[in-house]
Amino acid sequence: MLSYIIRRIFQSILVLLVVGLVAFSMFRFVGDPIENMMGQERTQADIVRLRAQLGLDQPFPVQYWKFLKGAAQGNFGVSYRQGRPVGQIIAERAPATLELAAVSGFFAIIAGIGLGIFTAIRQKGWASHFIMTASLIGVSLPTFLIGILLIYLFSVELDLLPSFGRGDVVKIGFWSTGFLTASGLKALILPSITLGLYQMTLIMRLVRAEMQEVLRQDYINFARARGLSERVVNFRHALKNTLVPVITVIGLQLGSIIAFAIITETVFQWPGVGLLFINAIQFVDIPVMAAYLMLISVMFVGINLLVDLLYAAIDPRLRSESAT
Amino acid sequence: MKTLISTALAAVICATAAPAETFRWAGITDPQTMDPHAVNSAPVTSFLNNVYEGLVRRGKDMSIEPALAESWEPIGDGEGWRFHLRHGVTFHDGSAFDASDVIFSYNRASNEVSDVKGWFAPVAQVNMVDDFTVDILTKAPNPIFPDSIANWMIMDAGWAAKVGAELPDKENGNAATQSANGTGAFILSDRQPGLQTTLLPFAGWWDEANHNITKATFTPIKNSATAVAALLSGDIDLINPVPIQDAARLASNDEIKVVQGIEARVIMFGFGHAADTLKYTDDAGKPNPFQDVRVRQAVAHAINVPAILQTIMRGNAEPASQLVSPAMRGFSSTNAARPAYDVAAAKALLVDAGYGDGFSFGLKCPNDRYLNDESVCQAAVSMLAQIGITAELDAMPVRTYWPELREDNFDMYLLGWSPGTFDHEHPVRFLASTPNAEKKLGSWNFGGYSNARIDELLPMIQSEIDDVKRQAMLDEVTHLYQSEHAYVPMYVQPLVWGTRSNIELTQRPDNFLILRWITMN
Repeated sequence: MLSYIIRRIFQSILVLLVVGLVAFSMFRFVGDPIENMMGQERTQADIVRLRAQLGLDQPFPVQYWKFLKGAAQGNFGVSYRQGRPVGQIIAERAPATLELAAVSGFFAIIAGIGLGIFTAIRQKGWASHFIMTASLIGVSLPTFLIGILLIYLFSVELDLLPSFGRGDVVKIGFWSTGFLTASGLKALILPSITLGLYQMTLIMRLVRAEMQEVLRQDYINFARARGLSERVVNFRHALKNTLVPVITVIGLQLGSIIAFAIITETVFQWPGVGLLFINAIQFVDIPVMAAYLMLISVMFVGINLLVDLLYAAIDPRLRSESAT
Repeated sequence: MKTLISTALAAVICATAAPAETFRWAGITDPQTMDPHAVNSAPVTSFLNNVYEGLVRRGKDMSIEPALAESWEPIGDGEGWRFHLRHGVTFHDGSAFDASDVIFSYNRASNEVSDVKGWFAPVAQVNMVDDFTVDILTKAPNPIFPDSIANWMIMDAGWAAKVGAELPDKENGNAATQSANGTGAFILSDRQPGLQTTLLPFAGWWDEANHNITKATFTPIKNSATAVAALLSGDIDLINPVPIQDAARLASNDEIKVVQGIEARVIMFGFGHAADTLKYTDDAGKPNPFQDVRVRQAVAHAINVPAILQTIMRGNAEPASQLVSPAMRGFSSTNAARPAYDVAAAKALLVDAGYGDGFSFGLKCPNDRYLNDESVCQAAVSMLAQIGITAELDAMPVRTYWPELREDNFDMYLLGWSPGTFDHEHPVRFLASTPNAEKKLGSWNFGGYSNARIDELLPMIQSEIDDVKRQAMLDEVTHLYQSEHAYVPMYVQPLVWGTRSNIELTQRPDNFLILRWITMN
């Protein structure tokens, strides 16, 4: 077991290094940061001087090594655009993304499971048909379009919700939260729906399919034959067995909610790390891009590692295999 | 009695109608620094003009007017300029302004690490005569020097020393990157880079404040559809720019005003003059047709500028004949005609030049730098096809565009130029002079256009005091680059701002948003 864990951790670190290497070799194709950092009256000498100062004149393996050395000590360098430490900027922006991801994840799970159960139990009703058709929109429309449509409906036409931003936030230590103010909560509604809609649809369709499958099983028929009420049959017996595969999928979708947030954050001008990353690409802010990509890959690799370890804990066959 | 009641009523209404006026505006780009000497870019100078001030400033009609200097006069026979500073001016932190701050700001802005040091290239020496008099001596007579320093912002020497911001630091940032201490009409009260920046009116401002803003917040909104929605829903009071295709729709809305003007930026095509061979398409390696003036002229006649303005710019822009717009100083009115759209003439010129069968070449174009830049290039491709030459369009984001042009990877390219000094000399220096890194000339003349007479005239223009003689030389330069079709100037880019209908403002061709000219009704 221990050797299995060590091997998996070792593999994860290798994956991280490769991701970083690929990212770094791509940066030179993104553009030249110097062009954005100086005005139109710059001279060639200025360009050469700044390039040397930033270490951009060195070959990319050297730049990569320097980045790794800094990152290992928790130092991600200084943003070209903002002139502030990248670690500080990301720490400022992370709460916005994490709160948005949490709310939309919550929305996706609750609404997805609820609607999934409803459409599984009432397969024939018009409401189920309507929900199933509407859910097709959720999977087929691109996120930015949904976002813009919601903004036009709820903030321009109905004037109910803010069209962009995070509203007022309250600082609790280093964490800025939008949960404690009315405007902060209102600002969360549209972006959360936009971001969570795809996941919600996915969960809903999965729950529906699984539950229909379970409802056909013999033990459900036996339960009904025993004279148990529909409620007990549906929720005590059917739902429980439905949720096992659903929970696995939800776990895997968590990472993609944070990664998908880039588009939603751009549409709603949501001040999170996704928007930071988009702006960094446009400005060729290499330290920010590098730190963001590393963080996202750490997150994904971490989730996968955790899942692998959980499997090993659950499934004895994996353990014995690793022992041989 | 009736009048008395209505007067009283009016007084009550007036009294209640003057609540806190928060002005919220949005743009695409966040100013990357609050340091007026660290980055010479439009978002930064435009924003900081509300916080900092220069010795002189530009009025509503772009003319130079006194700011921190009450008056100025030339010294001797073109040796330089003497500035008499304003008394009783204080910085936002309360410290007094005097000549030592000007000297400090000169040293800071002309330092090697400053991005605005180019403005001080003509300066030989700066002397403090007394606490409120400063002499700026120039290497050669420089008639437009006061015009060229309108964006040179004066920083408090004591404050900079206290917070450790004696020099701009582009790479690591310092106190002046995040905070500011100017003399301007607004105080920088809160700065969240990339998110929101808040300004408050400065009660101790030396000039009379004509605005009624009690608080102003700037939010960068990257997505233009979001910005339009924010304006429509009233979450934002002003957006700049309005996407061209939304301008008509917004203008028809009662709650919205669309404020249009002409920017200082001229959009043009450039050619690879210095390249002996073509670099792109199947014709790569063949002799470069654009070295022949007849081919360049044919291109000029083939581009249907009125059609581009009508369809792509939706009637919002004006055609351009030269490297500057008519609003700029030194515009050559004797050369104000531009080549007419004439396919037959263009074809005849191509036959004449020996390219009757046409040729193909690579056209480079940015896709996120100027208004609808890629669409303009696509239109040009089909217009050029009508005279039998095939352009292969390669459009890219600006972050890769400039490096590409710097590497000479083009046969023809699109360029926009906004003269930082609002003077014709500026594009002549940067675009029409033979590239010379040592003399800092022609640094944006990617195609390597070269004309000995223009090179000869430029230093004479720069040091000519007499306005009539200066204009005559600029007319000659204009005639030279026009008759050689060094560039194909097409149009002056429009300015389109959208505001809520209760906003009164003044729009200046340099696209600066000056808060002290804004009133909210």
